[in-house]
Amino acid sequence: MSTRLTALHGNHACALAAVAAGCRFFAGYPITPSSEIAEHLSYELPKVGGTFVQMEDEIASIAAVIGASLGGLRAMTATSGPGFSLMQENIGYGAMIEAPCVVIDVMRGGPSTGMPTRPAQGDIMQARFGSHGDRPVVALAPASVQEIYTETIRAFDLAEQLRTPVTVLYDQVIAQLLESVAVPEPATIHVHERKWANGAGAAFQPYAAGEDGVPAMVRPGDGHRVHTTGLTHAESGFPTQVPPVVDRMMRRLLGKIDIHAAMLERYETLMTDDADVLVVAYGITARAARRAVMVLRAEGLRVGLFRPITLWPFPEGPLRRLAGQARAVLVPEMNAGQLVLEIQRLVAGAAPVHPLGRIDGEPIAPDQIVAAVKELAVHA
Amino acid sequence: MTDSMERREIRLAGSGGQGLILGARILFEAFAIEGRRASQSQSYEPTSRGGFCHSDVVVSEDLSDFPLVTGLDALIALDQVGFDRSIALAKPDALVIVDTRIDARDAEGRRLHRLPLTERAVVTGSGRIANMVALGAFVALSGFVRPSSLDEAIRRETPEKFAALNAAAARVGLTMGETAAAA
Repeated sequence: MSTRLTALHGNHACALAAVAAGCRFFAGYPITPSSEIAEHLSYELPKVGGTFVQMEDEIASIAAVIGASLGGLRAMTATSGPGFSLMQENIGYGAMIEAPCVVIDVMRGGPSTGMPTRPAQGDIMQARFGSHGDRPVVALAPASVQEIYTETIRAFDLAEQLRTPVTVLYDQVIAQLLESVAVPEPATIHVHERKWANGAGAAFQPYAAGEDGVPAMVRPGDGHRVHTTGLTHAESGFPTQVPPVVDRMMRRLLGKIDIHAAMLERYETLMTDDADVLVVAYGITARAARRAVMVLRAEGLRVGLFRPITLWPFPEGPLRRLAGQARAVLVPEMNAGQLVLEIQRLVAGAAPVHPLGRIDGEPIAPDQIVAAVKELAVHA
Repeated sequence: MTDSMERREIRLAGSGGQGLILGARILFEAFAIEGRRASQSQSYEPTSRGGFCHSDVVVSEDLSDFPLVTGLDALIALDQVGFDRSIALAKPDALVIVDTRIDARDAEGRRLHRLPLTERAVVTGSGRIANMVALGAFVALSGFVRPSSLDEAIRRETPEKFAALNAAAARVGLTMGETAAAA
């Protein structure tokens, strides 16, 4: 791949990646520590004929993004925890009507307005369960400025292929960090084209899907009639509460994720083959864990790192395999214990799973993880 | 392990408004000119002027390495608060460069250099270029990057009308650092 090295802050990389992925509509409301994404897109989108709108709030922002998506554009918004909370209902709406879009959540200390300039990882479970009811959920967790670039592009690719909102979760540290990024040449960046409906006609069923579970999308002006609703709907797009129809549609909606599990799965491992203690970490915390693993290995301790890059759906199979070989699992994260609940569920008693939470607005340092692993190694 | 051998942690510390972030950005660029990968971060608070502020550069060839400081190889402090709040993070053999106005008794055994950074900056043209004088001294005393890379980075990262003055300040610092190293 042809690339050039460029020094970028995390949020700048996100904005450039969005444009490179074909994003042509952004609606948002500024909030620290995500505001630079909007700022950069306010310059970058007009250059490529795109649209930037500063909305009156986050509810309107995600609503506008969903509208732009239905209008045929690749669309995105960006926010932080407080705004992500406001967006939850419409994110569920986007999932229900199958509007592809990307939501960037730069996590800061919470709850409520919390700590605007301090990092956290407290929105992990909100990304999974924040909107009411059952819905397909895809969330990605980059750990570096480079990965913010690549995962933002992948978020668009997944959103367009699966016709669903995709969330990218990262924290204030990497949002504001300056790093060298290998920026690929535009021609080498590929985002799948949305599956468009063709062949109008009275029999057209906008929510009928084939084996891939993803219905073709209507392009405005192509002559299709389409009805869009957040109510449970039949293949026709019109509301229904007929149990077998609702069951069929809901299972297809949720099943899209399972059908494409292989495409969604992304994770990284470091020295896990013989690990007695397995550290599971994501985002900036995974980089502290990586340094901790290097330090501990140099001291002769058998420690490994499992880093989910796709956070939801969680890469269950690989985690189960590795945890099954370990004598203890440690889950450091900048919250009071969120992903650890999922890891405990997956490991299901095969090994003890310990949380290591930090909620004071400081990133978890490598030596904290080193100390926690040593404690586990003694007792394992 | 090779990655820890190559890892370098450098902090510029002082008060908001002293050009610490620009200084770190220039260092980042100087390393980049030599093909080194780095991460640059700064304290990020609602207040931007006055009060403790720092800007850090972590050099590591491991792309996924922890990008924040854990033990400083070098500390450059332009005022007392920057020194006081950062010295505990400095490794026992760290290079510590401070302005002569600073009480650096807490530096204990580290490679301490008290240099007239601000005084020489004023003589060179402005107290505001003490950050550049400090960078020059740092390059001479650490050997982490070549003087030519620093000069190039300054020209890339500062507006044209200040580039010559900034580069001159860095040269003053280089000479100061070379003299200190020889002493």
